[in-house]
Amino acid sequence: MAAPLELSCWGGGWGLPSVHSESLVVMAYAKFSGAPLKVNVIDKTWRGSRGDVPILTTEDNIVSQPAKILNFLRKQKYNADYELSAKQGADTLAYIALIEEKLLPAVLHTFWVESDNYFSVTKPWFASRIPFPLSLILPGRISKGALNRILLTRGEPPLYHLREVEAQIYRDAKECLNLLSNRLGTSQFFFGDTPSTLDAYVFGFLAPLYKVRFPKVQLQEHLKQLSNLCRFCDDILNSYFRLSLGGISPAGQETVDANLQKLTQLVNKESNLIEKMDDNLRQSPQLPPRKLPTLKLTPAEEESNSLQRLSP
Amino acid sequence: MSLVAEAFVSQIAAAEPWPENATLYQQLKGEQILVSDNAASLAVQAFLQMCNLPIKVVCRANAEYMSPSGKVPFIHVGNQVVSELGPIVQFVKAKGHSLSDGLDEVQKAEMKAYMELVNNMLLTAELYLQWCDEATVGEVLEDVDQCCQALSQRLGTQPYFFNKQPTELDALVFGHLYTILTTQLTNDELSEKVKNYSNLLAFCRRIEQHYFEDRGKGSSSIKSS
Repeated sequence: MAAPLELSCWGGGWGLPSVHSESLVVMAYAKFSGAPLKVNVIDKTWRGSRGDVPILTTEDNIVSQPAKILNFLRKQKYNADYELSAKQGADTLAYIALIEEKLLPAVLHTFWVESDNYFSVTKPWFASRIPFPLSLILPGRISKGALNRILLTRGEPPLYHLREVEAQIYRDAKECLNLLSNRLGTSQFFFGDTPSTLDAYVFGFLAPLYKVRFPKVQLQEHLKQLSNLCRFCDDILNSYFRLSLGGISPAGQETVDANLQKLTQLVNKESNLIEKMDDNLRQSPQLPPRKLPTLKLTPAEEESNSLQRLSP
Repeated sequence: MSLVAEAFVSQIAAAEPWPENATLYQQLKGEQILVSDNAASLAVQAFLQMCNLPIKVVCRANAEYMSPSGKVPFIHVGNQVVSELGPIVQFVKAKGHSLSDGLDEVQKAEMKAYMELVNNMLLTAELYLQWCDEATVGEVLEDVDQCCQALSQRLGTQPYFFNKQPTELDALVFGHLYTILTTQLTNDELSEKVKNYSNLLAFCRRIEQHYFEDRGKGSSSIKSS
């Protein structure tokens, strides 16, 4: 398919490929839909607009915002929702609205507004990936933006004080987590056995909350009690994001192993056939006995040898 | 409300049964009331009707100022005043009436999710169209269409969103869709979007007939097209 897709996003830590929810949503969706993304982790030298991250670049396009990026990927035929029914598609929209309204404010608060968390974890982490002197300004700006967003959506009368808003948003977030947990139940993913857009969103918002080590952890503690949600995050991390030495994820590695096994079996069959032919030839009196080379099975070499034999 | 105050209100609510003179206050119809406020008021009215709780609707020019939270609509029940659909649902529940008790946990989660979708998309669209009249309305209309499509698919051929019995989700959806369909805005595009979905139209008509026409409310009804 066409030009390479490059995703610029915030980097990882604490076992996560990214600590930034929106970046994580896009990365997860790409894995689920098979989109070949080249992930470009932002560091001090990156010259783009950090406020817009994650950003997808192709030869002719620049797309930002997770919803738009996912739409773009779908148009390029990378569609993780192919098997969903119309109702499931509708449910996806509804649950995403729920997450953005009820969970996001508390996640923003945990990362960017709660002082202990912000000053000891979030700010240093982001500042180290932003060049001086922007590193002195940008984290503070993001923090203020987060506070504004929270107050805008929640801080209406009669909730005038930040303290009351805080209580409300954490209550909403805990309820939202409970709802998600109820909905997931014992299934592996939200819609059956294969992950879809909704799984990408839930993973993106939950995983940082689950894994990043904060001093003030009330929402994290609540999440940890919902074991099926934790299992959900861990499963995705292990299946799609753990890198083996070859740079292939375990799901990809399994495919390679399976192929290797098939090849080995074929080679075995071939060698049996050849030995039979060899016996036949030996028993025939006209030809002098010849020793045919025997095939031994050591993986790497055998692969290249057998490939040569198998080609027409 | 703080957690303590809410618990307190719930306790008091539970103490007394629903009185005959419960009243809902909203702004004056016609010129004063905003599209979004009208939708909110209608949603509350529909919800109370579905619970079979009598309510008298009173229009007051200063309704916003009468409300303790500044939000309309609000209901005056006994000696308590509660505003907005969410808190009203809680309040009514404390008095022992609920539409969603029969739902299992998964269905409750779905219901809340769809209510957020409606709040997110339809409410935003109404607010946008009230205040801005410009060409950038395109994206807003697309959101509305997406939301209606989702609602239409979720509803399917059922009478209500959770089949036979209406819930607060039905009340909320009705409030918004009915308002969009019956309010004269400077452009018709918003109501045209809703009209594309025949099961949503039927849904609104059904609730209008069942819960409002019998009781003589609802001055404007849905135009058939």
